[in-house]
Amino acid sequence: MPTSWPTRRRAVREQRSFADVAEEHLDDVYRYLLYMTGNPHTAEDLAAETFERALRRWRRFDPRRASARTWLCQLARSTALDHFRAEQRRRRREDTYHAEAVDSEEPVFGEGLSPAIDAAVRSLSAAEREVVVLRVVLELDGETTASVLGIRPTAVSTRLSRALQKLEERMVSDVRG
Amino acid sequence: MSEASFDMVLQELRDTAPSAPERLRDHVAALPAARSRRSLRLRPALAVAIALVLSVGLGAAIIGGITGSEPKKSVVVRLAPAQQAQPSTPESPFKAQRDVRRAPFELGLTLGSSSRLQRQDVSMRLRVENLSRATQSAVRHTLRLGGYVASANYGTNEARGDSLLQLRVPVANVQKAIARFTDLGTIQAQRISVVDLQAGVDRINRRLAAQLNVIETLEAKSELTAAERARLEAARRTVRQLARGRTSLERQGAYARFSLQLTTQKAAEKQEAPGRFDKFWGDAGDILGKEAIGVLYALVIVGPFAILAALALFGERARRRRADHRLLEETG
Repeated sequence: MPTSWPTRRRAVREQRSFADVAEEHLDDVYRYLLYMTGNPHTAEDLAAETFERALRRWRRFDPRRASARTWLCQLARSTALDHFRAEQRRRRREDTYHAEAVDSEEPVFGEGLSPAIDAAVRSLSAAEREVVVLRVVLELDGETTASVLGIRPTAVSTRLSRALQKLEERMVSDVRG
Repeated sequence: MSEASFDMVLQELRDTAPSAPERLRDHVAALPAARSRRSLRLRPALAVAIALVLSVGLGAAIIGGITGSEPKKSVVVRLAPAQQAQPSTPESPFKAQRDVRRAPFELGLTLGSSSRLQRQDVSMRLRVENLSRATQSAVRHTLRLGGYVASANYGTNEARGDSLLQLRVPVANVQKAIARFTDLGTIQAQRISVVDLQAGVDRINRRLAAQLNVIETLEAKSELTAAERARLEAARRTVRQLARGRTSLERQGAYARFSLQLTTQKAAEKQEAPGRFDKFWGDAGDILGKEAIGVLYALVIVGPFAILAALALFGERARRRRADHRLLEETG
């Protein structure tokens, strides 16, 4: 969305140091990657890699085009996709599937989260978890989520609706089971 | 599950969202401090490039206009531009006439060269007061100088009178003829051309000498074979042809051709030369027009390729987006 000239000037003036931005959005990036990967260790590694990338590209960051959070989420998504592609290649090469699922009984998606919800979230695909974390957990609006995912806002709504419906179905089946 | 309870689930997801581990926090904090520096961004760079190109194009047009509107240092000398040589002040009419008369010779043009055979063509247009008297004088001068009238075309009406004379004047008297014709009136235009014929004559002479040698050799023999007789005949034919050619060239070189046009009508008003400002705009406009044509041409050539490249880019991005989504869908 185009911004007016005074808004742009303000954005430039308010540009902060990388350390400040990283500190502010570290949790968001980690949560996003955790939901995408479903693995705290992988999420941690990918978050570290994301911030290293962000540091290298910091000079290219333009606050007039997107907020720092959006930009970091885009970088995190790109890092996660690279990871998934590498994993896919590795699986094909080794012809074996090694799930990265965590064996621990501890909930993955948050301390104190009920095991039923955690299991239901874990049963979603990465694509579904991604839209849930962006819209529900990080509370990004539709436009920003669309910007991170590179799709239209209407597509975001559709994906979110399907993901939540699936989540609800899984929880209902868990309760019944 | 009710809507309220599902909202509670979502709220729980929000509330229990994990924080980044301390180890990750330390790692990110340990990253070296980066400073945002100004870097080349596409859109501003593109805007600057477009502005630069426009400035260069406009600058070229302005410079072209300025240099084009400056008075020319080199003057194109035209033979007898009569109006330009007309007296600018009333007290010097005879001086101007003399200047006009001398004009061809001051250019170093030597007419009637005695050493080389040349064909000379002179074309003159003069405005006269009395057409009949001027025509008679021109004919008289021609005859006195040993020339003749090849053709004459004389006509008058209420508005104007014209006389076109095709004259032949011995080359030795060309300069005299020009001077006398100039006295008949005011020169409106004059053109003199000289073509060297000597080279052609020399070539013919060399071929003639060779053929005459052949003839002399063959005629010295007491008896000739059939082939030699045929060769002798051919040589004689060639000698006759060459002699005719040389005579023709000599005839061309003997008389200068004069095309003398006499008229009672004034020359058309000289067109007002455009001022420096008009010339500046004219030249700048020409350059801008050429630049616009160049840009249009480049767009026509590059346009289809740019559209194809853009389509390919968008297609690739869409394909990549679908592939990414599929990958995430497959990833549990």
